[in-house]
Amino acid sequence: MSYFVVLTLTGVAAGMIYAALALALVLIWRATRVVNFSQGAMAMATTYIALAVIQATGNYWFGFIAALAAGLAMGAVAERAIVRWVEKGPPLNAVIVTLGLLLVLEAVVPMIWGAQIRAFPAPFSIAATQVGSTFIALSPFNIFTIAVVLLVMVALLVLFRFTSLGLRMRAAAFAPEIARLLGVRVGRLLTFGWSLATMAGALAGLLVAPTLLLYPNNMDAVLVYGFTAAVLGGLDSPVGALVGGLSIGLALSYIGGYFGGDLETAGVLVILIAILMVRPQGLFVHAAERRV
Amino acid sequence: MLEVEELSVSYGGVAALDGVSLRIPNNGITAVLGPNGAGKSTLLRTIAGLVRPRAGRVLYRDRLLTGMSPEAIVRAGVSLVPEGGGIIRELTVEENLRLAHLWRRDPADLRKALDEVFALFPPLAARRHLPANSLSGGERQMLAVGRALMSRAELLLLDEPSLGLAPKLVSLIMRTVRDLRATRGLSVLLVEQNARSALSIADEALLLSSGRAVASRRAGELVHEEELWHAYLGY
Repeated sequence: MSYFVVLTLTGVAAGMIYAALALALVLIWRATRVVNFSQGAMAMATTYIALAVIQATGNYWFGFIAALAAGLAMGAVAERAIVRWVEKGPPLNAVIVTLGLLLVLEAVVPMIWGAQIRAFPAPFSIAATQVGSTFIALSPFNIFTIAVVLLVMVALLVLFRFTSLGLRMRAAAFAPEIARLLGVRVGRLLTFGWSLATMAGALAGLLVAPTLLLYPNNMDAVLVYGFTAAVLGGLDSPVGALVGGLSIGLALSYIGGYFGGDLETAGVLVILIAILMVRPQGLFVHAAERRV
Repeated sequence: MLEVEELSVSYGGVAALDGVSLRIPNNGITAVLGPNGAGKSTLLRTIAGLVRPRAGRVLYRDRLLTGMSPEAIVRAGVSLVPEGGGIIRELTVEENLRLAHLWRRDPADLRKALDEVFALFPPLAARRHLPANSLSGGERQMLAVGRALMSRAELLLLDEPSLGLAPKLVSLIMRTVRDLRATRGLSVLLVEQNARSALSIADEALLLSSGRAVASRRAGELVHEEELWHAYLGY
């Protein structure tokens, strides 16, 4: 199998993880117009919870579900207890608060679980698959990653487009005051938006940990990649998050493959700066004008 | 039906409303008139729960609205159509309408209510799947009124429904409001700068100036009071 194809396939698999984190950022941006810089740290914390449950029960899937459930709860608590108090203020306040939350999580988690690097199990093999005599660059776990992120994307698309809950969530995001005048309980929906987002982030944390390992700031780089993906997709569009995540995954894979792994992070920063200069509104922003 | 008692509102220490009282009888249309900055919109926004009053209270069917959230007030049967209609441009026409009915959790009645609104405003039916920002000014006002009907509100608070519309459309909207009162038993609180249009359908009129109620008359009488007319309505 040619080197290019291998890089492409591994890039897609990694891109799906960045897409999941970008999706989390997009969901929160849509709901509350806040960029949640603690998204990665929250995902790190839920992955530690998953590891504790896996070690206690001996079953990966109990840990998987525990992490998603912890994400739901953590998102709701963060919105209700912390973000709600700064939402009305200048946008910078909310940004600083999410940065503070990042620092708190990265300090509290090692107090509970220690700061050493830990292995994290995968439900399927992370070694490349062999079919007959040819190796396929994708491992069974890569295929699981791609499938589960796509599944989440489709589920969210159905939720937003075809359900009344999704209609209310969109209305609450686009025009909160008008939505309230139409009987929509906007406050609850914003909390739910944070819950959904943090659950998507928790998924990214679970998917990244088998290869990247688990330690208190293991998500820092992933957050940068996910943020770049979200900005590339316009910050407002779940489909944009998917395309952005895939683009970043592929770009990283090609840069790492052809120019050396040391240049990956620098390459992403160059992409981020280029997007912000050429098309700051992102590639997938609604044609409709936006009230700010 | 609605009683506003001694309502006072201030924004950062500046009085926007100062002890305004008002009664809307069942099935009545009351117009609130006055120059720009008189506090007309503030009055509606306070009744709808978007603004907290400093003093005074609002009763609707003997129920205290003051302190209730906007979403609870619309569930009680009072619907504000904000200035410009307040349509959600990113949603389609039909989504805007459906949204207003969702809290009732009654899909069968939702379809019925949609059909009623489309029968009342045929231009909306033709554009039901288009984004609401593709509508003309008159259609937006139809959508805004239609949305209030979707919630099956019994009291409509209309904030300047004639703003920016051609005279022909203004009289269409006014006629529609009058017809809705007759066919659906609605009560209406109508805020307008366009005093003549408003008085053509209102029973009672309240004149606001600088946050105070300066006169309260039968609509037919106010038309002939030249002094008030010149002092507060400008022409």
